[in-house]
Amino acid sequence: MSEDTLEFLVGEEKSLRELLLDSDVLPLLEGALRAGAGGARVVNEEGEELWSESDGGGRGELLARLPLYLEGEPVARLELFGSPEQRDRLVPLASLLVAALDTLLRNNLKRVLTTEIHTCVVNSSHEELLRINADLARSEARYRELAENLELRVKERSAELKRAQARMLQQEKMAAIGQLAAGVAHEINNPLGFITSNLHTLQKYTARCCAMLQFYRERLRPDLPLQTLFEEAELKWRELKLPQVLADVGDLMAESLAGAERVSRIVADLKGFSHVDEAGEVRVDLNQELERTLGVLSHLLAGRAEVVKELQPLPPVTCQGQLPGQIFLNLIQNALTHAGGAPRITLSSCFDGERIRIGIADNGPGVPAALRGQIFDPFFTTLPVGSGTGMGLAVVWEAVLRLKGTIAVADAPGGGADFIITIPAKKE
Amino acid sequence: MIEYSEKERRMVLKLVYYGPALSGKTTNLLQLHDLLTRQGRGELMVLDTSGDRTIYFDLLPFFLTAPSGLKIKVKVYTVPGQVCHDATRKAVLQRADGVAFIADSSPAEAQSNFTSFDNLERNLALVGLDIETLPLVIQFNKRDLPQAVSEREIRAAWDPTGVAVVMASALHGEGVAETFARLAGLVYDRIDARYALTGEHGLTRDQFVRQLTSLKEEP
Ligand SMILES: Nc1nc2c(ncn2[C@@H]2O[C@H](COP(=O)(O)OP(=O)(O)O)[C@@H](O)[C@H]2O)c(=O)[nH]1
Ligand SMILES: [Mg+2]
Repeated sequence: MSEDTLEFLVGEEKSLRELLLDSDVLPLLEGALRAGAGGARVVNEEGEELWSESDGGGRGELLARLPLYLEGEPVARLELFGSPEQRDRLVPLASLLVAALDTLLRNNLKRVLTTEIHTCVVNSSHEELLRINADLARSEARYRELAENLELRVKERSAELKRAQARMLQQEKMAAIGQLAAGVAHEINNPLGFITSNLHTLQKYTARCCAMLQFYRERLRPDLPLQTLFEEAELKWRELKLPQVLADVGDLMAESLAGAERVSRIVADLKGFSHVDEAGEVRVDLNQELERTLGVLSHLLAGRAEVVKELQPLPPVTCQGQLPGQIFLNLIQNALTHAGGAPRITLSSCFDGERIRIGIADNGPGVPAALRGQIFDPFFTTLPVGSGTGMGLAVVWEAVLRLKGTIAVADAPGGGADFIITIPAKKE
Repeated sequence: MIEYSEKERRMVLKLVYYGPALSGKTTNLLQLHDLLTRQGRGELMVLDTSGDRTIYFDLLPFFLTAPSGLKIKVKVYTVPGQVCHDATRKAVLQRADGVAFIADSSPAEAQSNFTSFDNLERNLALVGLDIETLPLVIQFNKRDLPQAVSEREIRAAWDPTGVAVVMASALHGEGVAETFARLAGLVYDRIDARYALTGEHGLTRDQFVRQLTSLKEEP
C-alpha cells in the first residue's frame, strides 16, 4: 500500500446489518415475547424486515413503533405487537427495547471505529516500518560500500605507508653511507694532508739538492784549483742547509709512503665493506665483515672506544655482499650513540653447527623490556624528536630478514644492550 | 472529498477539528452536543480517552434531509493532538471536507499552535488535500484566559491570509456554534455548485447551516 492507494478509511458508512448481529438483537426480541408481546420486529426505512420474532398464536395489534437512530439518522423502526389489553405494559417495554438496541448500536459502532483506527494506524505503521526498513537497507548498503571503500583506502594508505617506509629505509641507508663517507673522507684526508705537506717539503729539498748539483756543474772546471772549489762547495752546502735536508728526507719519504698505504687500506676496506665490485650473491665471512666494518669506522673508534673481539671461526654465508656490513655498521653506530662517555663494544661470534650467532654488545643503559618489541619498528627512536630518523634498527631488521635470520636484544652482562643476530648456515 | 451516492440519494460530509493537544477540540464537540437540538444530532462518541487527552478521536455525527429527499450526514471528528499520534491524524484527515483548526490562545502555546498547523499542512498534502481550497476555519480558543494573546495581534496575523478566524471560549460555550456554522457555510459554498444543492435539492446555504446548528430552546 502506498500513500495514493490508501483504502482504509475511518468512519466509513455502516448499515444496521453490519453493526448489529442476530445474536445481539434476537434475544432482546425474544425477551419481549416472554414479557407478553405477541411479536416484535425491526424494519428498515425501506420497509424491509431485518429481525423478527413472534409467538405461534398470531402477533396481535401494532402497539408501538419507535425509530432507531444511527449517527443521528433514523435508519429503522422497532415495532411491537400484542393484545391491546397489554398496551400499558408493552409500550414502555418498546422504549426499553429501543434504548437497549441503541446502546448496543453505539457500543458496536465504537468498537468498529476503534478497530478501524487501529487497523489503519497499524497498517500505516506497518508501511512506515517497511519504509524505514527499506531506508535502513539502503543506508546499510551505503555503509557497506563506504566500509569497503574504507578498506580499500586503508589498503592504499598502508601501501603508501609501506612506500614511505621503504623510502625512509633507503634514506637511512644513504644516511649511514653518507656518515661513513664523511668519516672515511676524514680518514683519508689525514694521511693525504701530511703526504701533501711532505711532498711540498720534498719539493723544496729537491730544489736545494738541484741548486747544489748546479753549483758543482758550474764550478767544476779543470782550470780552477780544487782547494777553492772544495771551500766554496762547503760554504754552499751549509748555505742550502743540506745536512738537515738529508737527515729529513728519509723520514718524509717513509711517512708519506705509510700514509699512502693507509689510504689504500681504507679504500680496500671500503671496497670490501661495500662490495661495490660484486653483483648478486657472494660468499662472505661474517668475521671479516665485522673487521671491515670496524675498519671503516676506525675514525670513530680509534682512541675513543674500546673494542673487544671474541670471534670464533665461522662458515661462509651466501648473501648480497652489503647486507652484513649494513647490519654491523648500524649496530655499532647505535652502540656508540648510546654507550655514553667511555664506550666499550664487545663483538662476539660463534657457530653451533646450524646457526651463526653474532653478538654486538655495548655498555650503555640497555633497552627496557617494554620497548624491545618496538625498537625495530620504522620511525621508532628513543632519541629526542628531530635527532634521529628512527630508521637505523629498521634497516638492520630488514637486512637480517634478507639473510633469513633473526635479531633480538638482550641485556649484556654487566648492563648495556646486547644485540644478538642468528643466521642459519651450513658447515663447510 | 465528499462521499456522494446519487442512487442512494445520500451524501456524507466529513469535518475535522484539528489542533495541538489540549487546545479544546473535545470541549468544542461536547459543547456542540449540548448546545444543539437533538433533532438530527447523533450522540457524541468519545473514543477511549486517557485523562483529558484524546487518544483516538471523538465523533459527533449530524443528519439532515434536503427538501429533495437527499440525506446528508455530517460527521465531525477531532484528532489527537499529541505528536505521537500522527498516523491517527492522517487516517482521520483522509477525505475531509473541511477543517476547523482549534488554536490555544495562551501565549505559552504559540509554538504548539505553530507546530500543529505545520503538521496539518503537511498531512493535508500527504492525503492529497489542498489547504488553499479546503474550507478552513481557525478558532482561537480559551479567550477567557487572562494572559490570552490579544485579538488585535491574532487578526493582524491572520486576516491577511483570508482565513476565517473565530474567537472562542469553548469551556463556556462561546464561539463554538459560530465556528461550526462558519465551517458548515464554507463547506456548503464548496459543494453547492458541484452537487446542485440549491438548484436540484432545494437546500439553501442558510437552511443547511441552520439545520446543522439550530440551538436548543432554553427550557
Ligand atoms: N480556560 C479554558 N480552558 C479550556 C477551554 N476550552 C477547553 N479548555 C480546557 O482545556 C483542556 C483540554 O481540553 P480538551 O477539549 O480535552 O482538549 P483537546 O485535547 O483539544 O481535545 C481541558 O482541561 C479543558 O477544560 C476554554 O475555552 N478556556
Ligand atoms: Mg480531545
